[in-house]
Amino acid sequence: MTFLLKRRGGKGWHWTDIVTFLWLGAGLMVMFGPAVWLVLSSFKSPAGLAEFPPTLLPYQAQTAVVEGHDNPLPLFVVTDAAGSRTLAEVRRVGTVAQMVDPANPAEIVRVNIADREPVRSIGFAWENYLGPFERFDFLRFTMNSVFVTVTATLITLLSSSMAAFALSKYEFRGRSAVVVLILATLMIPLSVILVPLYSIVSAVGLMNTLWGVILPTVATPTGVFLLRQYMLTIPDELLEAARMDHASEWQIYWRIVLPLSAPALAVLAIFSVVWRWNDFLWPLIVLSRPEVYTLQVGLNAYAGELNVQWNYLLAMTVITMIPVVLVFVFLQRFITAGIAGTGLK
Amino acid sequence: MGRIALHDIRKSFGAVDVLKGIDLTIEEGELAVFVGPSGCGKSTLLRMIAGLDRPTSGRIEINGTDVTARGAADRGLAMVFQSYALYPHMTVRANMAFGLENTRMSRAEIDSRISEAATLLEIGPLLARRPGQLSGGQRQRVAIGRAIVRRPTAFLLDEPLSNLDAELRVSMRAELSALHDRLGATMIHVTHDQVEAMTMADRIVVMRAGRVEQVDTPLNLYNRPANLFVAGFIGAPGMNLWPAEAAQGRVRIAGGPEVALALPDGPLTLGLRPQHLVLQGDGPLSLRVELVEALGAESVVHGALSGGTRVLAVLPGQPGLKRGDSIALGFDPGLVHAFGAAGQRL
Repeated sequence: MTFLLKRRGGKGWHWTDIVTFLWLGAGLMVMFGPAVWLVLSSFKSPAGLAEFPPTLLPYQAQTAVVEGHDNPLPLFVVTDAAGSRTLAEVRRVGTVAQMVDPANPAEIVRVNIADREPVRSIGFAWENYLGPFERFDFLRFTMNSVFVTVTATLITLLSSSMAAFALSKYEFRGRSAVVVLILATLMIPLSVILVPLYSIVSAVGLMNTLWGVILPTVATPTGVFLLRQYMLTIPDELLEAARMDHASEWQIYWRIVLPLSAPALAVLAIFSVVWRWNDFLWPLIVLSRPEVYTLQVGLNAYAGELNVQWNYLLAMTVITMIPVVLVFVFLQRFITAGIAGTGLK
Repeated sequence: MGRIALHDIRKSFGAVDVLKGIDLTIEEGELAVFVGPSGCGKSTLLRMIAGLDRPTSGRIEINGTDVTARGAADRGLAMVFQSYALYPHMTVRANMAFGLENTRMSRAEIDSRISEAATLLEIGPLLARRPGQLSGGQRQRVAIGRAIVRRPTAFLLDEPLSNLDAELRVSMRAELSALHDRLGATMIHVTHDQVEAMTMADRIVVMRAGRVEQVDTPLNLYNRPANLFVAGFIGAPGMNLWPAEAAQGRVRIAGGPEVALALPDGPLTLGLRPQHLVLQGDGPLSLRVELVEALGAESVVHGALSGGTRVLAVLPGQPGLKRGDSIALGFDPGLVHAFGAAGQRL
């Protein structure tokens, strides 16, 4: 708490403190507000989502079982000439609602809708989360997404680090040319190579398989470049010491360079997990059968041509965000921490 | 075990010749020190012996076997790097074990070798730590320990003391010498510090600009430098070198007096160590004191002869001189070194 309320210098509030807190507060709202609203909205019922003006917290209308009616009826507090009382709505016609007193179900009261307020309390619509898993096979989509993300990330780390090792620690003709060539592919967007990529994946029979999603994405120029720049900072003397120590080139890579590149590998892992987890366009093209859908493609199924099931869409969006958030929470220290070089002077 | 012979080693990086034909033999059990100013090629030569670089031409033999084409791992040598090059992500124990594990040595043998080296170097309590948690001197010991456990044919040390502070350097110097005596192994030590070379070496290899200038024991180098470069490089403070002209048994120092010395006629350079100059009322060198560095046990006097030639003298004790004094210095003619026009010793 003292840290949160840290101020410049002594005890008083300097004007820069106030500006700082306002600025940080505004930043927090801008950054965090939409995410919080998304999470809160994911607990709203379809009616709650359609409400205008929209509410921040998820509310559920209180209902009462009234004799003579099959379904529970929503409760309202009515304030008119006859005083204030709680009634249940039977039906609504235009601006007039037909309502009953739950204690006296026989008598129908007509109330102008301007004279009443719904009785509601904060409530969470958990069925938004349970429904997709029960009815839409979302568990399978999740498993598919996890498989694609984990496998693609592992292959990305392995192949990128091997390429980066060769490009940073070996001198050979055309090394710079190869680096430039790899970087140049950064300039080519996916949409340009979409059609040829589709032809290749189709020709090798990987359509509608998860490998068809994984393999075209694992070689990332960003990853190679990131790791290469990091490996350039690993002193050559370490590699020479390992060579004197009878280490094979593979051992130098596996036991010396790779562990020392851990901070850069963590960064690339974070990127790769986020990329692969959030991938939409390419999986949408490759995967056309629901049993191989990833989460993002599965989510798309909620947005139909005519109506969008917002409550499910929001709930599943929250689910898809969780792994990415977890990755950042647990791996973010690697982004700033570096351990290489501590063995040297 | 541990005789290293170099035959006409040359190395060029592009158009730059770094080593210009080195012939050298390092005897078994010898502590040889390569010394020279930076850029003289001494580290390059060491890396070539280690197998980390290949010579452009020439032959390297270890125990009579030509190893020029062999890789670093197959030469049976161990190297201590200037930066120590300890693996930062491994503990001290793992650092020392790494090279042994790669040769598929048994666990028990590795453990016994590590504990032996740890006892020898007094690094037992540090085995579980990582290099980042060690001080400079401790890292140095670990780096040496990593070399010792390999039981190499020869140790190669690339400026191993240059990253230590002055005090630690002196004690590590003594420890390295003691270690050499105990192990009896061939060691090649590279340094640019001539004091380090003088105190440690069995033989010193003085290098300059890719050539070996002289190979000899420390005292021979000091007493009989083969040329002007060695004369100026070995000894601190540096030797006085005066251009002079010899004619009929007399030598005239440029900008100074004429002294009686039997030397061949012609232009030459006279060399005289500052320690060999003494205060002498009727001495031949009369100079004006410009600076006195009083160190207590001795005083370093900077001065100039009447003609402007600079003279450096180390006088014992505290002679009570000050700037502007005029003094006369004498010397024993037997201690004078003379070098010909080409720089070679006469």
